[in-house]
Amino acid sequence: MTHLELENLASDYLEGLLEPARKAEVKVHLSECAACRELVEDVRRVMELCHSAEELEPAPWLISKILLATVGERKPTFRQQLAAFFRPAVQPRLAYAVAMAVFSFSIIINAAGINLRKLRVEDLNPRTWVYRANRAGHLLYAHAEKFYYDLRVVYEIESRFRQLRSQPKEQEKEAPKQEPPAGGSTDSKPLFSPQLASTRSLFLATAAPVGTIAPKIGNHPLTVGSGRSLSQ
Amino acid sequence: MDQDQDLLKRCLAGDDSAWEVLLRGHTRKIYNLCYRFTGRSQEAEDLTQEIFIKVFQTLRSFDAAQGTFWTWLNRVARNHLVDHYRRTKRDRVTSSLEDELGTLEERPSPEIEPLGQVESRERKEILQLALGKLSPDLREAVVLRDLHDLDYQEIAQVLGVPQGTVKSRINRGRLELARVLTRMEGMRGPTRMGSEP
Repeated sequence: MTHLELENLASDYLEGLLEPARKAEVKVHLSECAACRELVEDVRRVMELCHSAEELEPAPWLISKILLATVGERKPTFRQQLAAFFRPAVQPRLAYAVAMAVFSFSIIINAAGINLRKLRVEDLNPRTWVYRANRAGHLLYAHAEKFYYDLRVVYEIESRFRQLRSQPKEQEKEAPKQEPPAGGSTDSKPLFSPQLASTRSLFLATAAPVGTIAPKIGNHPLTVGSGRSLSQ
Repeated sequence: MDQDQDLLKRCLAGDDSAWEVLLRGHTRKIYNLCYRFTGRSQEAEDLTQEIFIKVFQTLRSFDAAQGTFWTWLNRVARNHLVDHYRRTKRDRVTSSLEDELGTLEERPSPEIEPLGQVESRERKEILQLALGKLSPDLREAVVLRDLHDLDYQEIAQVLGVPQGTVKSRINRGRLELARVLTRMEGMRGPTRMGSEP
């Protein structure tokens, strides 16, 4: 086998396409010829280099460009159109805005005293809304006020102040008979002897929670009922 | 490849989505083929687009009896690349191997990149440079065989030449590529490609 013949058979030899007899001839020649061995080795390296070459990625917009150039602007399907229509609605920002609007609307409806299940013509009049809102506001204020004055601690503070206000007048008059404080306790005993000390202890008592008032008063028990019963 | 036939039928029936699937399945391969011939990504993209426009316009001329869609697509691509080569032959400025190697040496220092990436990049560039040194006949045969993994029969169909000629071109192409790579190694000193098993 000549060098030229081997050169022509190099690829077939490496790809295993030669018949056994021809393959044996090539092997014999390669065992004798260093130059041909090097040549075959170079071809093998080339094949390996090509096979190991990575595929390159085209630009991402290439397919879109080709589609545009071939089928043109594609008409979206009904589902795609529907999805595109509702896409802004699924954003959290819009959902939050809608929730806030519903919440505000429900507050206005409640404040205006409108029953949506039994809607009447007068419910649609803004004057009715203002009137009802005003009334609801006053009712709320009245309830809050009543709740406040029904608190025991509030009542006790007020009664003490009333006592303090009434005592100087009594001293001036030097009345022989000690009258119970107006609207206060049913106890007939005098409250305090030293005025200054009683004033100090009073403020300490008012600063304390409701349940701790009685012990603070100590030697000067004050029989009190509920604000409602006393005021009646 | 049966899937290609089905998609092709749907394309011919006017189903645009089938064309899109077909396109997505083959764009990368055709782009790589174009890149191996031109060595420039922008040019390869333009050629890929032109090839697929041509394929879209001539879909009805595909005959399944003459081979698979993939073989037909390669033939269309190859013919277009040959036309392009002839068209741009006058304008093309072929730089010398030394100049190309010079530009290769001017790339960023290997210290910046990990060694593996440098080797990979250099090997890709060297292969591309070496392919550019082959004549178009030999280059297309080697690219279709060793980079596109087409068999001899398919390549013969794509190139429109007998299988014997295909074998001969592939062998000559590999030998020539080996010589070019050896020359390049000699110019650049001992390279990593030479140390490949």
